[in-house]
Amino acid sequence: MATAWRRHVARVAAGLNPLYAAGAVFLVVYAQVFANSYDQRVLAIAGIYALLVIGYQFVFGHAGALSLAQAAFFGLGAYVTALLATRLGWPFLVTFPASLGAAAALAALVALPVLRLESHYFALATLAIGQAALAAAVNWESLTGGSVGLGGVPPPSLFGFAIAPGTRMLVLIWGLVAIGGAVAWLLIRGPRGLAIRAAREAPMAAGAVGIDTGRMRFTLFVLGAAYGGGAGALHAHLLGVVSPEVLRLPVMVSCLAMTIIGGRTRVAGAIIGALLLVHLPEWFRFAERYGPLVYGLALLATIVVAPDGLTGAATRLRQFLWPESPPPPPEILPRAVGLFHAPAEIDLKVIELSKQFGGVAAVREVSFALRGGEIIGLIGPNGSGKTTILNLITGTERPDGGKIVLNGEDIAGWNPHRIARRGIGRAFQTPILVESMTALDNVALATHTAVTAGLSYPGRRLAAARAEAASLLGGLEIESSAMQRWAADLPHGVRRRVEIARALAARPRILVLDEPAAGLDEAERNALRTALRDLAAQGMALIVIEHDFHFLSGLASRLICLDAGQVIAQGTVEAVRRDKLVEAAFFGPTAGADGAP
Amino acid sequence: MRLIQTNVAMIALAAAIVLVHPASIGPAMAQTATIRIPVLVPLTGPLALEGTSQRNGAVMALSNPPAGVRLEYEVLDTGAAPETAVNALERALARGGVSVIVAPIFGAQMLAMLPIAAERRVPLITISGTAQLTEMGNPYVFRFFPNDSVAKNAHALYVVEALGKKRPAVLFQTTAYGQSGRQHLAANFARLGATVVFEEGLDINLKDFLPALIKAKQASADALVLQLHAAPTALLLRQAASMGLSLPIVAGSAMHQPTTAALLQPAERKGVCAESASSPVSSVDPAVERWVAAYRREFGAEPDDFALTQYDGVRMAIDAAVQGARGPEEMRAALASRSFQGLAMAYKSDGVGNMAHDAIIMCYDDQGRPRIDRRYPRLG
Repeated sequence: MATAWRRHVARVAAGLNPLYAAGAVFLVVYAQVFANSYDQRVLAIAGIYALLVIGYQFVFGHAGALSLAQAAFFGLGAYVTALLATRLGWPFLVTFPASLGAAAALAALVALPVLRLESHYFALATLAIGQAALAAAVNWESLTGGSVGLGGVPPPSLFGFAIAPGTRMLVLIWGLVAIGGAVAWLLIRGPRGLAIRAAREAPMAAGAVGIDTGRMRFTLFVLGAAYGGGAGALHAHLLGVVSPEVLRLPVMVSCLAMTIIGGRTRVAGAIIGALLLVHLPEWFRFAERYGPLVYGLALLATIVVAPDGLTGAATRLRQFLWPESPPPPPEILPRAVGLFHAPAEIDLKVIELSKQFGGVAAVREVSFALRGGEIIGLIGPNGSGKTTILNLITGTERPDGGKIVLNGEDIAGWNPHRIARRGIGRAFQTPILVESMTALDNVALATHTAVTAGLSYPGRRLAAARAEAASLLGGLEIESSAMQRWAADLPHGVRRRVEIARALAARPRILVLDEPAAGLDEAERNALRTALRDLAAQGMALIVIEHDFHFLSGLASRLICLDAGQVIAQGTVEAVRRDKLVEAAFFGPTAGADGAP
Repeated sequence: MRLIQTNVAMIALAAAIVLVHPASIGPAMAQTATIRIPVLVPLTGPLALEGTSQRNGAVMALSNPPAGVRLEYEVLDTGAAPETAVNALERALARGGVSVIVAPIFGAQMLAMLPIAAERRVPLITISGTAQLTEMGNPYVFRFFPNDSVAKNAHALYVVEALGKKRPAVLFQTTAYGQSGRQHLAANFARLGATVVFEEGLDINLKDFLPALIKAKQASADALVLQLHAAPTALLLRQAASMGLSLPIVAGSAMHQPTTAALLQPAERKGVCAESASSPVSSVDPAVERWVAAYRREFGAEPDDFALTQYDGVRMAIDAAVQGARGPEEMRAALASRSFQGLAMAYKSDGVGNMAHDAIIMCYDDQGRPRIDRRYPRLG
């Protein structure tokens, strides 16, 4: 166990940017040897903001949601500590968790309505939370002391030691920053980190592999609030006073600026952003009333020079100074070798499924059944309802009528991630990948629960996930060099196969593919057809939408032809090909004998 | 010859030693003490206007030291947040040698600075009106501006006794200044037998005051009492004039500021009264008139009573230094025990650090010019 930990620590140390390591050493030496009481206080405030920003990164960076409520959680934490410490005399070991808990509880309460909103509506709603908290602090004078606030908050006391502002307070605050940073770092590493990125950058794809994006946003929002509450509690102890200023917009703007300047998603970014933005006004105090102007110009210059944050700039600098060799081929774990997983019993019944879009009936009472080992081809002219049926089965759309019964359970109207977890995987008509990830990680993210269970460290879980992903991609004849390329740089044919591999990585029992052969060359089509046949041979059920009748002819065991949302024919490929209605609707009156449209 | 040369050299060396050695400094120079007084005031943020007056008043006092004292000062912006003020305080203290500190007008910032001042035993001189500051048993705070228990006493007395109004409406700002003032106004009106028929807290960013004015009128108020900051006071008075409100208006100290008056036409400020500690621009005292002229020359602006009372506060500290107070503890003892005749009034601690006990009511005449209507000495 001890050896494993040593190995883990060594791996972490090896992955650490030398610039950050040097910076950390400098900070410790500076704080201990050179800093006077003023410098220590500024460092302490920077530590508090670092904790606030690490929390905010969960929401703004990882969930990708522009929340303007982080100052409200910060202020709430400060007021809770001030009230409990001054009026009830409760100790730090009670007030600190209480501040975290109060902020998290408020976040959980408001998250349910607010997290449903998107983009600027979410930002406005969170701004309203902040304003409501500010109004309460200002006007509830009997509790909060009104605009003057609450004074006399004592320094924290731990195990009989009073932690007065100075070295002890600095150690406490930065100790909590270290713990908070380590927790955040562990949470966002590994397959979970990939899943979080997928939920942010490609939520539809994330849902299709069983990632509950709503729950993830909720968790990140509440977690971020807890960090904010903790930072507020420390702020109350350090200053000894809490006033509505902690809830005002400048705190939120500072938090946002620190996140952007430092970097949205890295713990080091939160610390660098907080250190810089807390110190900048102090450095420019000599400018008196022109200080904010100089401060603003310095910020602007930083954003121009490092648009992806200072951590992004540090990464580039590190790459320049100590160039990294290309990553080694992914390690393949023995137990992960093998392309597909034998599915359990499958019995899918689609019963009188209907969907309206306004006045248009996209799907009208469509019924069919699917069992393990079967491949159903869905055909029909454009607008006939094929993709809508797939969307209804996979939960992207909610049906207006009918049932979708999977092994005796009606899954109609379920969220996509629930359906995916029941074993229905999907590839989209236009491949949806996380463009900022490699092909390998696009597949590995789908294994965030299954393949990694029981493996302790995020790094090891990630290695196992990548090994599984490499097996799947290799099985679809994707070369290892392509696996390491960014998704945005992949050619169309590879993107399609990466998406199919991702769907397979979630270990589906039923695979739903929307025009998987579109854009593939002949060799790629043949390889894909072979792979899909193999899946069916292993007991998996497939539904494939395809316009290429030749592709389906050699693949599907049954065809269902749709027109205007209705099933007009179903049966074997030959039977459907000869159907008069199909000829009229799909192949057209001039279709040749081979059925080409 | 060689001996002479040697002797001359020795004498020159001895002279040089005598000249540079501290013990050989003449009696007049030996008494020259260096007094360090950092000026920590809000130069940015919502209280920048008041903070700038504070700065100017302090700098005027510090720029003209009397004989026997050498003054060192630096001005640090405390911004809008308590933590910025505390950082400024720590920065000033870290340089060492501080005798006394000019501290911000912003009450919440003062609250955060008080424990540090007590711990480091450095007196703070401020013009913040927040009553709580001198109610916490901290011996290191000295307020050179009438606190709310003085100013709002004068405010209420004028409304009830001078104007004979018994049904005032109170509009206050939802800030430390507004809420503290409102609390003291309510207590004083109750004591004087007046009934506040309407009161409303107004956000500092509010721009439309008509709803509040209409509600005050509908409540059958016989006077309008304001406890608002400078810009909201001006905006409310303009809207009151445009709606033809005929109620007598007695505003808070923000209305005495020339910068507030400058935002209004003479007709809009005509008849409006305001509570204040002093009104330097309406004073007929020759010493104050000279000070006002010097202030105008120095800063190109009209002085208000924040500048004047802060000037007085710093002058009292300098006077204590001249009298022999050197370190912060001696300075605290001097401020706590002595009295000082300033330009605005006489200052003397009431035992908890309140130095100012006088208030005035000034009113704008038919041409919109300020004049002192009534003085309320020794209220606190």
